[in-house]
Amino acid sequence: MAEQKPVADKKTGKKIGCLGCSFSLGIFIFIIAVLVLFIVSLALGPIGQGFLGIKPPEWLSVPTPHVLLPAEVIIPMGEFAGQEYGITNSIITTWLTMVILVIISLVVIKRSKLIPSRFQSLIESVFEWLYNFCKEAAGEKNGRRFFPIITTIILFVLFNGWLSLLPGFGSIMVHTAEGHELPLLRGANTDINTPLALALISFVFIETVGIASGGLHYLKKFMNVGRFFKGWGKIFRGQVKSGFGDLFFGVIDGVVSLIEFISEFFRVISLTFRLFGNMLGGEILVLMFLFLFFVTPIIIPHGLELIFGLIQALIFGFLTLVFASIAATPHEGEGH
Amino acid sequence: MDAETMRLLAAGISMGLGSLGPGIGIGILGMGAMNALGRNPEARGAILTNMMIAIAMAEAVAIYALVVAIILIFVPVAYNV
Repeated sequence: MAEQKPVADKKTGKKIGCLGCSFSLGIFIFIIAVLVLFIVSLALGPIGQGFLGIKPPEWLSVPTPHVLLPAEVIIPMGEFAGQEYGITNSIITTWLTMVILVIISLVVIKRSKLIPSRFQSLIESVFEWLYNFCKEAAGEKNGRRFFPIITTIILFVLFNGWLSLLPGFGSIMVHTAEGHELPLLRGANTDINTPLALALISFVFIETVGIASGGLHYLKKFMNVGRFFKGWGKIFRGQVKSGFGDLFFGVIDGVVSLIEFISEFFRVISLTFRLFGNMLGGEILVLMFLFLFFVTPIIIPHGLELIFGLIQALIFGFLTLVFASIAATPHEGEGH
Repeated sequence: MDAETMRLLAAGISMGLGSLGPGIGIGILGMGAMNALGRNPEARGAILTNMMIAIAMAEAVAIYALVVAIILIFVPVAYNV
């Protein structure tokens, strides 16, 4: 292998140009253009203005970014406790995501053939990968059971994250009745309500799986006080030594089950803020890059956002999967 | 120091101190993954996936600090009492 490479290079020695591309001149001009744009955008941005004192023309200046943490209400429907509520722009994005996912699945189902087309095989390979992912983490039987909801969560978060990178998000404005100018679309994950709803769904899913497969035994994990009372009983019956032993371990069991109980709820908070913080942080990064160097360098945070959207979607799904498979396995070694 | 200065300082400190731990954690994770890769180069795919997931778990702590910093900087209600 290593000896063949220089031979191949010698054979096509003249054709290999800049960066291994045969259109060497085109690539060269492209790189130069990108570099020039890079420097111009750096010099005309706020940093360049500060250092060099250049004033860019009016049509090139970017307004100072302002970040709004709560989603903006587009169609107000009323007031509750002093807060306006209604249909926000993140809800509209959620609907858009759902419509896109439903259309894709309908198209694939309606036009599915034995010999798949290019689109169908793409979707099939994605689903197969996710299916193997579920089976590896949760086992053969549970993986098949958990696959639909895990895939739904992953695809929803993924499409939410990637949709908000399209042009039009945050830049298409609508005028409300009060005269405000609000963006029509906003990445749904940057509003804390969407990650919270997803985390609650996964919480309910995990608890349902636990109760369905373990029954009362699963709930006992959260209130493990049996040994404590047993210890009292032993003391009254005269077995003082083993009674105090049971009492001591009963207290430890109780504290452990209390921690288990709290950690179950902390999972919701942790899932919510992980997704929310990542997506909001990415959005703010893109916004700040756009403000500081406005033309070319924006590709860097955009590319990072593509990776982060995928990783966060996988993390959300994978954590739900792992917690659900932990809840589904019975605790045999516990007790006596 | 007025409230504005304090707020910006708090945001910077929270982000800086909050990313110390995750930085160390991700470093250890990367070291572990590289060790595993050196010992068992065939398991590249599995190691990469698991490393990514573990890194994202460690990174979440820094993300909490980021959320706190963002709230400190951009939410005007919190300090205009």
